[in-house]
Amino acid sequence: MVEARKEPEKDNPADASRRSFLKVMMALGVGAVTIGVARGAIQNLIPQSVGVSSFPTLTLVNATTGAPIKTPDMTVNNPAAVIFDYPLQNEPNFLLRLGDSSGNDVAISPYNVQIPATGGTFKSPGGVGPYKSVVSSSAVCQHLGCTPPSIHFYKPGTTIPNHPGHSGSSNTGFINCSCHGSTYDPYKGFSVVTGPTKSPLPSVILAWDSSSDTYTVNSMVGPTIFGHSDDLSGGNPLSSSSQADVTTISD
Amino acid sequence: MTEKDQNEIIKIMNDPQPLPRKVPDYMRRKGGMWYWTGAMVMFAFLYEVITGLVILFYYQPTAAYASTENFLNSTPFGSIILTTHLYGAYAMIALLYLHLLRNMFVGAYKKPRKNQWFTGILLLLTTLGVGFFGYSMSGDVLAANATGVGKGIAAETPVIGAYLEGIFFGNGTNASLFQRMLGWHIVLVAVIGIIFLGHFFLAEYNTIMPRRSESNYRAPLVDRETSAYRPWYPYNMIYMVQIALYTFAAIVIIPSIVVALPGVPTLFSPFPQVAAGTSFTGPLYPPWFLLFVYKAMDFQVSSIIDPFWATVVFAGAPLIYLLLIPYLDRNNSLSITDRPVIVALGIIGIAYLVGMSIWGALTPALLIPDPEVLLFFVVIGVALFVLVELAIWSIKYRKTRLRDPAKVYVLLAMTAISGFGTGSLAIPSLLTFKPVYDIPAIILAMITAYLILLDFASMRTAETVRQIEPVAADMKPVTYVLISAFLVFAAIVILFIITPLNPSVVSQEAGYGIGLGLLLFISGTLVKIYRKTEYGE
Repeated sequence: MVEARKEPEKDNPADASRRSFLKVMMALGVGAVTIGVARGAIQNLIPQSVGVSSFPTLTLVNATTGAPIKTPDMTVNNPAAVIFDYPLQNEPNFLLRLGDSSGNDVAISPYNVQIPATGGTFKSPGGVGPYKSVVSSSAVCQHLGCTPPSIHFYKPGTTIPNHPGHSGSSNTGFINCSCHGSTYDPYKGFSVVTGPTKSPLPSVILAWDSSSDTYTVNSMVGPTIFGHSDDLSGGNPLSSSSQADVTTISD
Repeated sequence: MTEKDQNEIIKIMNDPQPLPRKVPDYMRRKGGMWYWTGAMVMFAFLYEVITGLVILFYYQPTAAYASTENFLNSTPFGSIILTTHLYGAYAMIALLYLHLLRNMFVGAYKKPRKNQWFTGILLLLTTLGVGFFGYSMSGDVLAANATGVGKGIAAETPVIGAYLEGIFFGNGTNASLFQRMLGWHIVLVAVIGIIFLGHFFLAEYNTIMPRRSESNYRAPLVDRETSAYRPWYPYNMIYMVQIALYTFAAIVIIPSIVVALPGVPTLFSPFPQVAAGTSFTGPLYPPWFLLFVYKAMDFQVSSIIDPFWATVVFAGAPLIYLLLIPYLDRNNSLSITDRPVIVALGIIGIAYLVGMSIWGALTPALLIPDPEVLLFFVVIGVALFVLVELAIWSIKYRKTRLRDPAKVYVLLAMTAISGFGTGSLAIPSLLTFKPVYDIPAIILAMITAYLILLDFASMRTAETVRQIEPVAADMKPVTYVLISAFLVFAAIVILFIITPLNPSVVSQEAGYGIGLGLLLFISGTLVKIYRKTEYGE
């Protein structure tokens, strides 16, 4: 064992209180520098937010052909994920034409959706189109942000993997996320069916023009899109200011 | 900070020890490998830095997936570099766990090595962090989801969540995300490097912990150099070269074999999966070393307390326990029988970690009701605790005599884990007959059987305390000369075989990688033979 080193403090206590005072001053000086540097470093590292200032109104078009989406272009209970980004590039949304188990359109009425996380509610917009069967919601899972194809619609009667109780004949048409098993009901305003999510999918407000049979996307309602401080920030704006491109991811 | 700590710092600052130190001969002899687990982690880290710097020349954050695929498929030797970079990280993490557990069971966290223990835990944390960012950088479908989950958990941090998310994952655009992930991947490696220097300096300063019999199993245990110690150069340096060659050999050869195998499960695939946002039907696994956190998200309780708090409970609590060990286990005994609770908790911890990981691999995204979660933790915890306590009791009171109890515990723990894994894999294997389950089930069953044999062997030798006979079974020097000549001949043949392989075709590259791994292995063995014949080590 080596003895404790002789510290000057111990062999030369000329004025102990003066020495302590100067030590504290030295520490405060270094502390001030640290705060100044840390503040600058942290503020520098926090990225500038990007986004748009308001919800744009866009016509839904086929991403490949550029032609507007019309009702016959959409398959009832399509098991493939039909998605479009809105209002920002990294905010995908489902476009669903819902039907019953035999494939007939089902009219979707507005629904008072519960938000279990906050205890609040909001009114979902309900279906649009000739049969009031076309609905849309954010395709970013509200649990931990998984996106299609990990999260997608399972048409009525089909198997949802690892989800006994909501699979097969008990599946009345759910959206399920295979990351951690959250389930939503698109027929009831994308409300929560099973956890772990505690928040329904935000609804997208669509409008249908009966004369031209085209659809526009207007805004969103419900909880904030997962991973964003608000729907309009945290991603690049869409490239077009008049149309939203609809793509299909087959599963 | 206590006065003792302060004195230690003053001592270190004013009286740094010469690097590197001499070590006693037994650390380089048979079984000495356990003193060098840290060196193995270091060489894996070195391998990662070198290959990582090469990949840095090609990786483009703005085209993460495309540039990764391009490096993999079109750049000469890209496949070897990328797959070994991945498996090198796996090796580093696995070796890190080995290093940590070994030091936990021998009580290396005790005086005077407390600070080494703390820096080691920090290194575990930063290494897993680097692993997470590295895994996410390929931009494939699994990485995209893992990133999303990591981002979601960071964003849920109380008060500073939004800032953490911004600082680590950027402003939400893909360009900013991958730029940040590349940045943090490298910055955290630099942090590892700096902490490692401290860790290494402390190891040299406090000396490598010698065998515990030197101090009759009492802390503080430091190595007291005698004039009999051989100098560092060349004896230890050449030994380090041997360890480096063997570590590199394992890192290069394993992924090259995996590349050549058909039907490797997603979890151990050396390649990225399909690009994010394209069709993918398999389970959305995180990297295997985070499977336990992934499974914890499926617990019913986790959906009530939110993912952030679930992570804090299931990943943070073990970490805090590790940091507290030096304070919980305060007596000065290094003997396992004097530390029954710490040893039992260590073994239970391994079982939880491995159990949750296998559970996550077998039932991805299947909600586990709370009673089952409770059953898992309570049954494994209580059963192992009782078993370990009984074993320690019977050894302490000489009901069973073990020559090397530490070895027996490690073997028993490994047997338990391997047995649990075999059972878990046997079920889907028998139900589905898929090679994905069959092959690992068979391999694990073989490992389990072998471990059971070893268990019996280690306990039997323990009962009859044998005289250690002088090493008579050694081969004659001329045999070694012949063997080394043969090895070099084999190396030349291997070099001759792999040279014409096309380095831009993944399947041929796998052959090149296997050949390269064999060359590294042969070189390591040549060094070993040299040490054996010339130094008698």
